[in-house]
Amino acid sequence: MSIVALGIIIAIKVVVILAIILGIGAYLTLVERKVAAHIQRRPGPMVVGWHGLLQPLADGIKLLTKEDILPSSANFLLYNLAIVMALVPASLVFAVVPFGPEIHVFGYDIKPILTDVNIGIIMAFAFGSLAVYGVALSGWASNSKYALIGALRKAGIIISYEVVITFAALGPIMLAKSLSTYDIVMAQIHQKVWYIFLQPISFVVFVFALLAETGRVPFDIQEAEAELVTGFTVEYGGMKFGLFPLVEWYVEVLSLSSILTVLYLGGWSPINIPFVGFVDPFFFLGPWSGFIWFIIKVTILFLLVLWLHWTLPRYRIDQITTIAWKVMLPLALFNILITAFIAPLLRG
Amino acid sequence: MQASEKTLNEIKLRIPYVEVKKDKLISIVYVQKELLINTLKTIKEDFGFKLFIDHSVIDTLEAQNRFEAFYILYNVDTKERIVVKTKTEHSLPSIERLWFAGKWAEREAYDMFGIHYEGHEHLVRAFMWDTYSYFPLRKDFPLQGYENVELPSLNETVFGDNLTGTMNYRRTHTYVPTLKDLEYTEKNRIKKKAQVVLNWGPLHPGTHGTMWFLFDLEGERVVQTDVILGQLHRGVEKLAEHEPYQQFLVYTDRMDYISALCSNQAWTVAVERLLGIEDIVPLKAKYIRTMMSELQRINSHLLWLGTYALDLGALTIFLYAFKEREKIMDIIEGITGARLTISYTRIGGVRMDLPEGALEVIESFIKFFPKELKDWEKILSRNRIWLKRNKDVGVLTKEDIFFYGLTGAVARGSGVFYDIRKLEPYDAYGMVDFDVPLGENGDCYDRYLVRVEEMRQSVRIIEQCVQKLKTMSKNEPFMAESQDPKKLRLTLDGIGLKVPAGEVYSSGENPRGELGFYINSKGGLKPYRVKIRPGSFYNLCVYPHLMENRYVADAVTILASLDPVVGEIDR
Repeated sequence: MSIVALGIIIAIKVVVILAIILGIGAYLTLVERKVAAHIQRRPGPMVVGWHGLLQPLADGIKLLTKEDILPSSANFLLYNLAIVMALVPASLVFAVVPFGPEIHVFGYDIKPILTDVNIGIIMAFAFGSLAVYGVALSGWASNSKYALIGALRKAGIIISYEVVITFAALGPIMLAKSLSTYDIVMAQIHQKVWYIFLQPISFVVFVFALLAETGRVPFDIQEAEAELVTGFTVEYGGMKFGLFPLVEWYVEVLSLSSILTVLYLGGWSPINIPFVGFVDPFFFLGPWSGFIWFIIKVTILFLLVLWLHWTLPRYRIDQITTIAWKVMLPLALFNILITAFIAPLLRG
Repeated sequence: MQASEKTLNEIKLRIPYVEVKKDKLISIVYVQKELLINTLKTIKEDFGFKLFIDHSVIDTLEAQNRFEAFYILYNVDTKERIVVKTKTEHSLPSIERLWFAGKWAEREAYDMFGIHYEGHEHLVRAFMWDTYSYFPLRKDFPLQGYENVELPSLNETVFGDNLTGTMNYRRTHTYVPTLKDLEYTEKNRIKKKAQVVLNWGPLHPGTHGTMWFLFDLEGERVVQTDVILGQLHRGVEKLAEHEPYQQFLVYTDRMDYISALCSNQAWTVAVERLLGIEDIVPLKAKYIRTMMSELQRINSHLLWLGTYALDLGALTIFLYAFKEREKIMDIIEGITGARLTISYTRIGGVRMDLPEGALEVIESFIKFFPKELKDWEKILSRNRIWLKRNKDVGVLTKEDIFFYGLTGAVARGSGVFYDIRKLEPYDAYGMVDFDVPLGENGDCYDRYLVRVEEMRQSVRIIEQCVQKLKTMSKNEPFMAESQDPKKLRLTLDGIGLKVPAGEVYSSGENPRGELGFYINSKGGLKPYRVKIRPGSFYNLCVYPHLMENRYVADAVTILASLDPVVGEIDR
């Protein structure tokens, strides 16, 4: 493969991934509003377009045409840098997400993953941790007490749950004997088992940590609208305000759901019967069925998050950190202990 | 009930220097100002009048001892109410050691009458800003205020003072607080002890109105709290002195605007008691009022449940509750013609008979409502997060209830059997069967359970009222007829209704606590003094105590579980 072809392929990958993430991110607002509406027994947006299909567009135009306000005595540089710091690391996680199996196009073997680095999982968590800088900077730069409290809450949560999520992910990594996201999926396919069946504890812990990291109910205390109005975004306006929930609620949920799918649900592999094999109702699509399965799994996870968000009340800050350090972390460590016994039994 | 002859005589024997007076409506103990504290202490501790109801003063305009102060106390065990009165020139001893609620009542009296309270820990104005220089409820303060500040309108500022016709307003207005005044008030209220003073309000979604809280924060822990009230202050008590009895009814709507029908009922019953016509009000009117009040109670509790869940992050319950609330709103609109400010009751009855089909609609509503309620309880009552946020948060003991003068669901949540509907039945409450739910621990969770159960009991009451009203014919009167129209004119508009001299304290059980009216009439068309005892005001006074060493997140839980309404607090 020539250097030019490689460059073109990577460029195409970048464009496709960015276009899909940001485009889907906008449309997920509509999905969320529709799901929330139906949970609450109302139709949701119905006016703009058929069943509100053009609603995200209308929202976007409204947000973009709003006046750009900088609060007095806010730090201009940090105030704007916070948005970049929130958006970029969250999107970069997708660089290590394998969306499907290797495909054969125009004589090239292409892995549908931007960079198959051998420390993919660590990269994903590193970028996830970087996201806290966006929040912390926005809270600091807005020069508002509400924003500061919200940002500190978020920082507290991320510090607690970053530890938990890493220890939870250690289980599948030990089973797969690899840190590369692509290899973890391949390991699950070779061992003919999704790691959710071997790692149920770690799966539950990971889902909780996902909710906490993305600021979803019951862990949405950094923007608890009843007490902090909207927390760290309170001083932002227009699209700058719109970007924060877009990143937190959609891009981060998607990226972490993808990582979750890779670690526990066998990535692009079809329905699994543990240790027996895979059943693929989409067999007629050939290698493309993998993409369908990946999308289905991420969608289900996203809907689960929405379901919890619109049903549960929220925890208090001390209760959240207590759960992280006193319940989740010991569970994750216990899981590692068990995994250490199981891992050698598996055929690699 | 008023304190009996026997109790008064015992008090007279025990404290020889007091004078006692009892008539049908009120039992009064007169005492010298110097002996006030000792008398109150004896009455509280030895006679069991532990629950603080209200305190204020009356401006008698006499040359000597201009102000007459009254303290209303209640004995929950024997169900007796007593009024202690004293006279003063300009100062009174503070009762803050006996009842904390008295502290807030004293602040209000200081604000409105300029009474100085000796020994009060922090005597600042309750509603007006601290740089305000008048005492509005004094009789020599004009109703329209002193218009001595020039406040040009925007038009006048831009185009100059050459506007003609209807555009040419008066330029002088009463004094309004400037930003400087408010800053001074804020600095005056709280002395910073910890890291940050967080301004929580006046316009904040968590405060359910326009309340202004100051939290002194150490990290997220609240060290001290204060409340600045008065953003919705309209001087309803001053207005009452200048309005005929019937026309004051519309102001009761605008006090607790979420439960207007209950406030209407409480005021009407108070005036009827003062007139002595409680017995001639037709049965039909009584049942209609009771039924409507209970509908309003469910309505009000639904708003509380929705916003409470919303504050704790359960967004969906809010919409479920509002959907049911909308149905009640429609029913109320169909019957009375209004949704929010209703003014349905009249002195002597109600404004109009029930329309055709109203009972059937109500019946179908109460048939399905308990099922909905059960659904919501499934989502909330046993939810672990809900329990974690509510259990052992904002705990109130029985002693706290008396000390802070708490009433309504807050008192019942702590296990104090205090429900005016049972203790002092008005209208048809004596004729219907219902239970009073009581809590055990007195935390937010118990208050939540009490309110939810109260909705069920309200459904029971409505059911019985509907059954009774179905048996009544359409031609039965809904307005009382005066035996002697020359003496007592009872009409729908209430014009020319003369009330004899006398005084009464009468209260109704509002969804937010006891709403009491102390009416002092010197005869004639208008009352001489009306003191409104707002349940929310005294329920809120426990808030700084409950917030000690709690997190900011608990601020919303505790505030919502006390369920104050600013319109009633500020009046």
